[in-house]
Amino acid sequence: MVVDVYAETGMIIGLETHVQLNTKSKMFCSCPNSGDDVPNTRTCEVCIGAPGSKPLLNKAVIDKAMSVAIALNCTVNKRMTFDRKSYFYPDMGKNYQITQFDTPLGSDGYLLVNGKKVRITRIHMEEDPAKLVHVGGSIVSSDYVDVDYNRSGTPLIEIVTEPDLRSPEEAREYLRELVSILEHLGVFDSGDFTLKSDCNISIKGGERVEVKNVSGLKNVELALRYELIRQRNLVKRGQIISRETRQFNPDGNTTHLLRTKESEMDYGYIVDPDLPWLVLNDGDVKRVSVSLPELPAGRVKRFIKDYKMNEEQAKTIVGDKALADFFESCVKGYKKPDYVASWIDTQLLKCLNFNKQSIRKSKVTPESFMELINLMDSGVITERLGKELIKEFVSTGVSPKAIVAKQGLGLKTDSELAKVIKQVLKDNPIEVNDKSINYLIGQVVRATKGQADPNKVRELIKKSI
Amino acid sequence: MIASDFVRDVKAGKIKLEKFYSDFFNDLRKLDKSYDCFINICEEDAFKQLENLPKGKLYGLPVSVKDAICTKGIPTTGGSKMLESYKPTFDATVIKRIKASGGVIVGKTCMDEFGLGGFSTNCAFKIPKNPNDVNRVTGGSSGGAGVVTRALDSPHIGIAESTGGSITCPAAFCGVYGLTPTYGRVSRYGLLDYASSLDKIGVMAKSVSDISLMISVIAGLDSNDLTSRPEPVPDYSKSVSVKGMTIGVPKEYFGEGVSKDVSDSVWRSIKKLESQGVSVKEVSLKMTKHSLPAYYLVAMSEVSTNLAKLCGMRYGLELPLNKDDGFNEYFSRVRALGFGPEAKRRIILGTYARMSGYRSQYYLQAMKVRTLIINDFKRALKGVDALVAPSMPVVAPRFDEVSKLTPLENYKMDVLTVAPNLAGVPHLSVPCGEVRGLPVGLQLIGDYLEEKKLLDLGGAL
Repeated sequence: MVVDVYAETGMIIGLETHVQLNTKSKMFCSCPNSGDDVPNTRTCEVCIGAPGSKPLLNKAVIDKAMSVAIALNCTVNKRMTFDRKSYFYPDMGKNYQITQFDTPLGSDGYLLVNGKKVRITRIHMEEDPAKLVHVGGSIVSSDYVDVDYNRSGTPLIEIVTEPDLRSPEEAREYLRELVSILEHLGVFDSGDFTLKSDCNISIKGGERVEVKNVSGLKNVELALRYELIRQRNLVKRGQIISRETRQFNPDGNTTHLLRTKESEMDYGYIVDPDLPWLVLNDGDVKRVSVSLPELPAGRVKRFIKDYKMNEEQAKTIVGDKALADFFESCVKGYKKPDYVASWIDTQLLKCLNFNKQSIRKSKVTPESFMELINLMDSGVITERLGKELIKEFVSTGVSPKAIVAKQGLGLKTDSELAKVIKQVLKDNPIEVNDKSINYLIGQVVRATKGQADPNKVRELIKKSI
Repeated sequence: MIASDFVRDVKAGKIKLEKFYSDFFNDLRKLDKSYDCFINICEEDAFKQLENLPKGKLYGLPVSVKDAICTKGIPTTGGSKMLESYKPTFDATVIKRIKASGGVIVGKTCMDEFGLGGFSTNCAFKIPKNPNDVNRVTGGSSGGAGVVTRALDSPHIGIAESTGGSITCPAAFCGVYGLTPTYGRVSRYGLLDYASSLDKIGVMAKSVSDISLMISVIAGLDSNDLTSRPEPVPDYSKSVSVKGMTIGVPKEYFGEGVSKDVSDSVWRSIKKLESQGVSVKEVSLKMTKHSLPAYYLVAMSEVSTNLAKLCGMRYGLELPLNKDDGFNEYFSRVRALGFGPEAKRRIILGTYARMSGYRSQYYLQAMKVRTLIINDFKRALKGVDALVAPSMPVVAPRFDEVSKLTPLENYKMDVLTVAPNLAGVPHLSVPCGEVRGLPVGLQLIGDYLEEKKLLDLGGAL
């Protein structure tokens, strides 16, 4: 068993995940927080760190971060500072990052991942630096680097776990749960904002290794898998796994050394004296608590109860908030939600995955998807044909009705069927009885490429003999 | 002529601004030639301002500004080579308020590089000379403001800034009034930061009346500075009799290191207040001896992060890139060349004080001591309207004396000013006589937001 292999290695994993919050404006100024626009246009004196400028504080960041802390069962701290984390790097206008060091916004929480408690050490707020654009190559091979300050000052929360994760798959599963919670809270949009993790991993007989800045979910799993293999090989060869920081290379799914422990940076944290103490009271926490929306765990329960889903189905659908919302739009006023659920869970997801799409980015709408379901319900097409049709529908976005009309995919008329049956009987000169009729029906359906309802065919064959 | 009379006459048409300013800038250039007090004289911008001047409280009044305060489109160097060509894209909040009241920005005054110094000898461009004796320092870091205020005959008010005594010191050494307001009373937006938790923009002027006028324009909440205070700004202009007030004399401020001539002058002024019905009582500020190390640790820790942005990437000198330069090499070269020795010293010490392993011993410990000093002042100010003490332990020293001082002796000059600055309480330096032709200053230290009481007491002297 896979899990046993991991247990043998004594692998333990902890994640520090940075999530961009989807507030309207940036964290310390009123520049827009997102927008697909020309580099260095969403900037002001504050977010480029002009000498003389001072930070403001976007209260929406505090509320959004607080909702995450509460949803992850953290204690919300009431009195805290913002702090300066100092290091020199070309992406930081000020050469310090405003973050929280001594006291984070939230501490000592947990997240349930498949029934297992993954402890959350802390959740704190900080600002994103500018974006470095490596022109003409990668970080090591580019000709030069452009700096885009549009990203500078985007609010981030960092969510730090205890080393409670035991496999790369579990780490990915944790992130999937986390993203679903963030999306249900309405603080993060996986389409427009990013999520990056620093992955800490150690195995028996080695020191802790950190893989920095891994984007998304899948890459975390890949980076950790590579590290496991690399570190096991070191142990096998009797070599030492030293404390170091590495970088993930998504092209080859490998990691390479960034710096060793000796060259670790000293961030020289001090309180940011430009920002007053952040003081929250019970009222603030209560206000955010009572306005929390339905979270994934509750939604799964409701889906099982209200829509007669099985647990696995419900978890799969709720795991992607956009998909769960899609499902609920589909079944509004529809009598067989479990039927829709199984079509989403199997056929729709299969096609989306094949096209490397998520429901959010796909052209499939609840209306067009229900068109497909209705075509099958009303007997215009068979399920078998539906399974073919959905492939084209998902990849092109052309409505199911239009596909049926264009390709003449509707069920054959009785007279058309009669012709086909005549031919099939001619090709199969056998006695028609209760047993052989099923074979003949199959031949007819195949000959019509599924555009025939088997019951109708049975009726017509009986009539024809 | 006090500023408010000048403004009245301008409004009445008795003084024509066009004519006034053509003479004024001639005087200003002469002044600068004699004392090296300006980094930039803004004649062209001033005349542009005259074209459309709001008829406010400062209508037509010349205002000089310490070069640490951002002025839109006008170079703002902070006295450093690093920002020699920095033209801010925005006005500091105080500049906006002054312009909106009709004040005319006439020049940017000389200062120690980023405020790091007590004599204005750490300026990258020129070193201002004391108008009372050109062989002596002006005090710092707002030295240029002190000179202009002292030596200019025409009406004028100077905008200065204090972190650990940078208004009080030049005010005392040059012989003018200098108000350091309560921390947060005046917006810091647009101030080049030295130590953000200590920096306070204030006023230097030839009279209490001028100080009152200017502080009433620049004080008050600013939504762009989250550390600015929300309390309404009182009317500073109507002076109240000091009869019945009580002043406290902190004994620690008259002790070792304070010259006898200076403390005698201060005592003469205390007697003068007493003769006007002010009661005097001795108080104690027990934490005084800890204030210097606490101040320098906090200030250096903060300045080492505030100056980090000056690395040649967006701000700071621009040097040609060497072939094998990584960003670290380039930043280091820029910083080695761009900063003066005192800036480097404080950046290195400040970086050390906040390193992990030393942070709790130095930076965090200093923060704790700072809280004790705040409590010290709260205790001492209970039951008194203000404290009185010498501003500086000595009169302005000569350049050759200053050049012999070790850094520690240098820092010790701030012994009387750093504590009120650490506590963030308002203080007013008032000229109080002369010693061998050199001015002596005393400081009135008040409780939070009690600037008005200080101005009343200062006016009575």
